[in-house]
Amino acid sequence: MSMQDSFKVKYNGDIATLEMDLQGEKVNKLSTVVMNRFKDVIDEVSKSKAKVFIIKSLKPKIFVAGADIEEIKNLKTKEAVETAVKGGQDIFNLLEDMPQVTIASVNGACAGGGCELILACDYRIASEDPSTRIGLPETQLGIIPGFGGCVRLPRTIGIQAALDIILAGKLLNGKKAKKAGLVDKLVHQSILEEETLKWANQIIKEGSGKRRKTFQPQGLVAKILEGGLGRGVVFSKAKAATLKATKGHYPAPITALQVIKETYGMSDRQKALDIERKYFGEMALTDVSKNLIHVFYLTEMVKKQTGLPAGSSAKAKDVKAVGVLGAGTMGGGIAYIGADKGIHMRVKDINHDALNKAYKHASDIWAKLVKKRVIDKFQAKQKMDLVSGGLGYEGFKTLDVVVEAIVEDMNIKRKVIAETAGQMRSDAIIVTNTSSLSVTEMGQAHPKPENFAGMHFFNPVDKMPLVEVIRGPQSSDETIATIFELSKKMGKMPVVVKDGPGFLVNRLLIPYLNEATFMFQEGMDIKTMDDWYVKNFGMPMGPLALMDEVGLDVGIKVVKIFNKAFGARVQVPDVMEKISKSGRLGKKNGKGFYKYSAEGKRLEPDETMYTDMGLSAPTNPLSEKECIERGIFSMINECASALYEDRIVDTPDEVDLAMIMGTGFPPFRGGLCRYADSVGSQNIANALEQYSMQRNAPRLKPMGALNAMAKDNKTFYNK
Amino acid sequence: MSGASKAKSPRDVVIVEGFRTPFVKSGDKFSAVHPADLGKVALKAVLAKTNLNTNEVDEVIIGNTGNPPDAVNISRVVALGAGIPQKTSAYTVHRNCASALESISNGFEKIRSGTMDVVVTGGTENMSQMPILMPQKFQKIFMDLPRAKGPSQALPLLWKLFKTDLKQIKAMLSGDMRNELMPSAAVMQGLTDPFVGINMGQTAEILAKEWGLSRQTQDEFALRSHKLASAAKEKLREEIAPVSLAPEYKETIIDDIGPRETQTIEALNKLKPFFDKETGTITAGNSCPITDGAAMLLLMSREKAEALGYKPMARILSYGFAGLEPERMGLGPVYSTPVALKRAGLQLKDMGLVELNEAFAAQVLSCQKAFDSDEFAKNKLGLSQKVGELRSEILNVNGGAIALGHPVGTTGTRITLTLMREMKRRSVQFGLATLCIGGGQGGSIIIENEN
Repeated sequence: MSMQDSFKVKYNGDIATLEMDLQGEKVNKLSTVVMNRFKDVIDEVSKSKAKVFIIKSLKPKIFVAGADIEEIKNLKTKEAVETAVKGGQDIFNLLEDMPQVTIASVNGACAGGGCELILACDYRIASEDPSTRIGLPETQLGIIPGFGGCVRLPRTIGIQAALDIILAGKLLNGKKAKKAGLVDKLVHQSILEEETLKWANQIIKEGSGKRRKTFQPQGLVAKILEGGLGRGVVFSKAKAATLKATKGHYPAPITALQVIKETYGMSDRQKALDIERKYFGEMALTDVSKNLIHVFYLTEMVKKQTGLPAGSSAKAKDVKAVGVLGAGTMGGGIAYIGADKGIHMRVKDINHDALNKAYKHASDIWAKLVKKRVIDKFQAKQKMDLVSGGLGYEGFKTLDVVVEAIVEDMNIKRKVIAETAGQMRSDAIIVTNTSSLSVTEMGQAHPKPENFAGMHFFNPVDKMPLVEVIRGPQSSDETIATIFELSKKMGKMPVVVKDGPGFLVNRLLIPYLNEATFMFQEGMDIKTMDDWYVKNFGMPMGPLALMDEVGLDVGIKVVKIFNKAFGARVQVPDVMEKISKSGRLGKKNGKGFYKYSAEGKRLEPDETMYTDMGLSAPTNPLSEKECIERGIFSMINECASALYEDRIVDTPDEVDLAMIMGTGFPPFRGGLCRYADSVGSQNIANALEQYSMQRNAPRLKPMGALNAMAKDNKTFYNK
Repeated sequence: MSGASKAKSPRDVVIVEGFRTPFVKSGDKFSAVHPADLGKVALKAVLAKTNLNTNEVDEVIIGNTGNPPDAVNISRVVALGAGIPQKTSAYTVHRNCASALESISNGFEKIRSGTMDVVVTGGTENMSQMPILMPQKFQKIFMDLPRAKGPSQALPLLWKLFKTDLKQIKAMLSGDMRNELMPSAAVMQGLTDPFVGINMGQTAEILAKEWGLSRQTQDEFALRSHKLASAAKEKLREEIAPVSLAPEYKETIIDDIGPRETQTIEALNKLKPFFDKETGTITAGNSCPITDGAAMLLLMSREKAEALGYKPMARILSYGFAGLEPERMGLGPVYSTPVALKRAGLQLKDMGLVELNEAFAAQVLSCQKAFDSDEFAKNKLGLSQKVGELRSEILNVNGGAIALGHPVGTTGTRITLTLMREMKRRSVQFGLATLCIGGGQGGSIIIENEN
């Protein structure tokens, strides 16, 4: 496969056009070989008589997806990183300095290095196609733009707009890119080529030369904010906001901010790029970056998966209409995500009040998106039109899949599943959204258990990306493939898990939450403990706040189920019995570890919790280290058992993806297994052993699977 | 041979299913519900109940008179929103009060001719949302304003607008209806005959006087409507698809808001005549209210229904429309019914149930008299003898529009739907649904029960 075929230059009169079409790849990406070919192209065209140089892609929905992440991942030393980056910077400098007027003609994804490429061009024209997304997502991977993006973007669109794009690592659609000034022209995709040529010819005719590259603020406010004095305010505000959002765990956005601050307005291009490169080198080798790239690969992995074991040839069935039994919070959320992606959703419940709650749940989210101008009111209406409901089984014969989300009661669920199956086509699938009951036992109620599986969504459904696809012993390959594909269609990340108490995520989460309750009982202050987990470890929410969120009644119920299933390793703390009798249900009745506003917003910890539970004022007897380790290591202990003894999932990749997408386990740590590997299995087992003795807590003893790892200090990833 | 069913044929047009929304007096619960959304609720209920593969639908035909400016071909909006595929065509029909009946006759013809096999017909109307129209004087200013070049042209126009506004407020405060600056309600204009310039209530006054219908008879008929409709609440619920009120979704309307169980004759007697204050007898109580609601039917050829495994509810035998003097439009049913009967080869006495839309009590009662009059038949209908007796026992047995309301573009479907379902309950073979049409027409449809 030759690079000549991937990057072809065509000459037509005064116009030279580069057509990018990386052979053997789905996307165009800027690997080293590609960049070298690009350099040759620039050299060649520069020497030609062409007056205008157009860069376009022949891939249907991709301009340039970015740099080659695999290459970044493999760079091991600062020198290697800087050399690689310098190469790219130099080539884009050559592009910028070409004698020709350069025009980037963008259709499709134009991210990272792709965006930096077009920033080095004189002019940018883009299509209105929804696939056109332009921006610099580097900070999402723990790095910063390194091919001149930190330098050229602010000069092109001003500091404020540039910070918006770089710090959040977001991509803009054509319309927003035009508004920000990132592209000069926006046209319908079918006339992109025509308009690009027209523009090129106009440039040739008018003889207009290269473009002045500094951003000119329009309007008084912009002038003040972009000016010397205002700029300081903009930087300090952006820094404060970023620190607040990242809690200091993600250094890349702050570093990018630093680069922009140091280089903005600098007349010496090379000096500015040197600064960018130096900081890039620092970022590329951080653990955070390695971990975030790991997470990126995990999400890419799901895109390619089918949910089936190797060798299975079953195909997913097309799903156009989905039913939801039970219009509670989960049911409403499921109706929302389905209809949002164009699926007909039919909700069934026993009364109109319940149905209305589901309608309202979905409608409110779209209303919010309309307000934020993410969608327009016509789109919102179309989506809402896809949601309908009823008290009976009307329409169920048209449904391809039904998600059961009714009360967590095995007998009721079994009855409803049998009844529902009788109202559907024989080829239709029923899935349960249970979080704690046996999918195997439930499936026996279905007349065709091969058409039954679990599809476990996480609360709030519209925000949590994970779906556990629970494969029962009788679920067919076709059923699993269909539900896996449906999850992806709904915009979720599916992970196939085996049936077993708590499946994967809750099985790991319960020992953690339970341990937090024990530590509360031992005298830990609610806020102190939650803060350690959030601010220091990086959890999105402290364990006690999460218990409130889940519902204290639900928590206790599940802990008892686990106690039955797993015995001593999930003990029920005494204080739990007291909580269950106190009428505290958590967020849902506004009474839990925390106080809640009438709208359900979490306020300060409820100090009466201590006295109500017969505890004296908190003395915080545990160190931060112990507090965090007992919680997190409990999860790791359970993880080894789930992975190697019960084989709930096959790989640590799936554990890490599930914990990040289902619980918000800090992405910068790369996932639970990756974090465990960074600590070392021996250290973890030793610590658990020690806590178990110190606190007289047999539940904390390292289990067989972890001990087996610890013996040779094995890791999850290279076991 | 009268009263005998014709043999079944593959090209028979059958009604497979039908639903409607509750009917709600205008300005009440449905004020904020777009008529397209009302239509979607009724159509979605039909589709869900039948589990129909929507790819089978050949066309959607919906009656509507309000013609909402943001959904001028409202049929298409209803169809797409209810999940009918984009490839399926949709159009809106307008025959005033019989718009929805017109939709059925369109569907009937297309299926009978073999052009189509599956047609959705129906009607939707939100009379609460019919616009208030600005006088011509304002229109001119509003049209000139965007074309004004610079403040030198715009300012005088704005000043003119301001002055006209003040004059309008003055006119409204003084209640001078004839003032040319008074805004007018589209709904009131629609209820006024554009040819002879009198409104619908006045046409009913003419009938009341010409047919000698006392105030008391009319009020008693209105009371009957309320009593029957109230008593039929459970039955009517079977044809109703509940409407959830967006965007708050705090309430679902499951019944008609109109029938008053506690209605008394005394209360009706107390009301003042509305259209002729001195010698009139037509009141708000013995007329139908302005109403919001939608209704939909699923029509198929018999062969298609059988192929898809449906059991039809009724067969459509014929329809008929006819015209008469606009000022006596209320007698329309007497003109159109013989047309439909003749096409069906039946007589009025063969009808086991009749739905005659209750625009006004006086209008229904005068129809009853005219049906039974040899003289009227000879002089007006060109028939040798009367159409026949329309017995009260079979007329509007579940109440009518005086209690339920009359969303103009919807009613034709509503009376057909209510008739069809009651025919099943009573195992009646033939039924007639008919209504008078503003502008001086009548429309009738004759259906046969399917067993």
